[in-house]
Amino acid sequence: MKDVIICRCEEVSLTDLEDAAKKYNCSARELKLRTRAGMGFCGGRTCRPAVDKVLTSITGEDPTNNIPLKVAPPVRPLSLSDLGGVNHD
Amino acid sequence: MTKRIIDHPVLGTIENERTVTFTFDGKTYEGYERDTIASALLANDVRTIRRHEATGNPRSIYCNIGHCFECRCTVNDVSNIRACLTLIEENMVVKSGDVQPDPLNPNNEGPLPRTYEEYAERKAGDTDENA
Ligand code: FES
Repeated sequence: MKDVIICRCEEVSLTDLEDAAKKYNCSARELKLRTRAGMGFCGGRTCRPAVDKVLTSITGEDPTNNIPLKVAPPVRPLSLSDLGGVNHD
Repeated sequence: MTKRIIDHPVLGTIENERTVTFTFDGKTYEGYERDTIASALLANDVRTIRRHEATGNPRSIYCNIGHCFECRCTVNDVSNIRACLTLIEENMVVKSGDVQPDPLNPNNEGPLPRTYEEYAERKAGDTDENA
């Protein structure tokens, strides 16, 4: 159970997150930067709520307080050609 | 094709489907028309669509609805195509993702030259071959 992967893109396990959260008693954003959870290919869309939950359970920090995990555009992975230039179907 | 649900109470039955041939990492597979790459591969018992770029751990579909990008593969030379959303087409060439070089890992620095000498040597070698 402890080896359960929370962030699949960057392969961060529950243990990694819990250890980092305990050791640094940090904000969600700091936890992300320390472990890379939520910084992978999918843009954190898959694991963000789980990362927030892990943090809340350890530090008691409400995900909306303090420094949250931010959501930045584009909201999903896009290829540069989707943004213009090359046409393909 | 034995693991397919061929008779489903809601989705109906699968019969007389047209087969579509495609390749995955150089091997030829058959799927049914309207299969996604992921479902066609699963039906052929292929469960690893790619490997994690850093650790090499095997990956397959996770969400199967296009959200997580775990199933990305290279299709007809276009990279990062989601296998769970893309329908197979005749003679489609699908390739899995592989471990990427890591400049910070001495065991996996990849094929890039590390010094200018190495680069010059290879460059000289290249032109010889092409000449
Ligand atoms: S399995 Fe999640 S995007 Fe295809």
